[in-house]
Amino acid sequence: MTDHERWKDAAGGYVLNALTDDERTAYEAHLATCPECRAEVSDLRFAADALPLSPPPVVPPPALKARIMAEVEREAALLASAAKPDRAAAPAEPARRRRRFAGSAAALPFPRASIAALACAMLLLGVVLGGVLLGGGSDARTIPFQSSLPQAAAQLEVSDDGATLVAKGLPVPPEGKTYMVWLARPGQAPEPTSALFTPNRDGSATAGVAGDLKGVETVLVNTEPVGGSTTPTSAPILTAELT
Amino acid sequence: MDVRALADEDLIPLMARGDARAFEAVYERHSGAAYSLAYRMVGTRSVAEDVTQEAFLNLWRSGAHYDRVRGSVRTWILGIVHHRAIDALRRASVHSRRRSDDDTAAERLEAPDRVEEDVARSDEAAIVRNAMDILPADQLKVIELAYFGGFTHVEIAEMLEAPVGTVKGRMRLGLKKMREVLAQGAVG
Repeated sequence: MTDHERWKDAAGGYVLNALTDDERTAYEAHLATCPECRAEVSDLRFAADALPLSPPPVVPPPALKARIMAEVEREAALLASAAKPDRAAAPAEPARRRRRFAGSAAALPFPRASIAALACAMLLLGVVLGGVLLGGGSDARTIPFQSSLPQAAAQLEVSDDGATLVAKGLPVPPEGKTYMVWLARPGQAPEPTSALFTPNRDGSATAGVAGDLKGVETVLVNTEPVGGSTTPTSAPILTAELT
Repeated sequence: MDVRALADEDLIPLMARGDARAFEAVYERHSGAAYSLAYRMVGTRSVAEDVTQEAFLNLWRSGAHYDRVRGSVRTWILGIVHHRAIDALRRASVHSRRRSDDDTAAERLEAPDRVEEDVARSDEAAIVRNAMDILPADQLKVIELAYFGGFTHVEIAEMLEAPVGTVKGRMRLGLKKMREVLAQGAVG
């Protein structure tokens, strides 16, 4: 049996992502050498890409948009404040006072130094929306969090594409509070990240953690006022040791 | 400037720079298809809402990763929803439950809940659905189990008690037939 004969039926499973991991890897190696199969994959992908359009239309509830937009507006305000070109006054040490971030993009009532400190911290962390992590190109790995809540469990999935916190059993944070992820390096105060999140109703949560994890010893999660803080104001609930 | 007048491809760079109004315009355009796909896959409203929320927040935070060479914004968004829904199915261990009850899995995926079907089906969805409806039942079944259920062809072969080669062949033939019909209707 030639290599092509062996793989002649695989294109459908490939575009549907229904091959096993080993098969997918082997098939991709075959694709690199077989123009005929590449053409078929391209052909069938046209059909596979249409499948998500086929479900019966169901209208999303307005409350869903309200929840999503509240989060987006908050993060947009955070980014707007961090992007202000006023870093010259950035202090060498982290801002000591907790700061709240307003829920709109309107002018924020921060002292300039705090804004600059946050902007500086975010730049150091490489926090750009969806920032790429781990420039060193290390392999994907999963690191468990230690939890101070018996019902909660979480892990940090670290890959070349980024780090993602996946949690379950997390209680809804108190009114006016949200969960926040911090990165701690040896001998330094924990640095804030833009990863603020509230769990789903079943206690599950997924949060992208943007920032350079190089040198980070511990990833912490605590509760902070909605909008986040520049220094932690409560004890960590989840702790993951990276080293 | 009213961002709602902009094309998807022009909204994404604005969104990637933190423009919440650009994101809102993208949400307005694509949340219906996204939620419908999530609901079709996970089968409950609450989980579909969670999947849609995760997908759009992921989109908001990763707009810079969009590459127009790889397809339309809508295809990109629905791809994120699809991944998130598969994750949700796995998180909920729905797979293990469904593996132990193969008939239920196949039936559920073939006969989605018809809640709110009085909502007008878009022309585009109708064209795709029609292209699926002309497939022989055994080809449609394997495609739906793979795409909406997230099962591998090996799992599907076990469910249907059919050889793996047969399942692969049905996937390929079914998609090929769909592609021919869709090419006439210019959807994709």
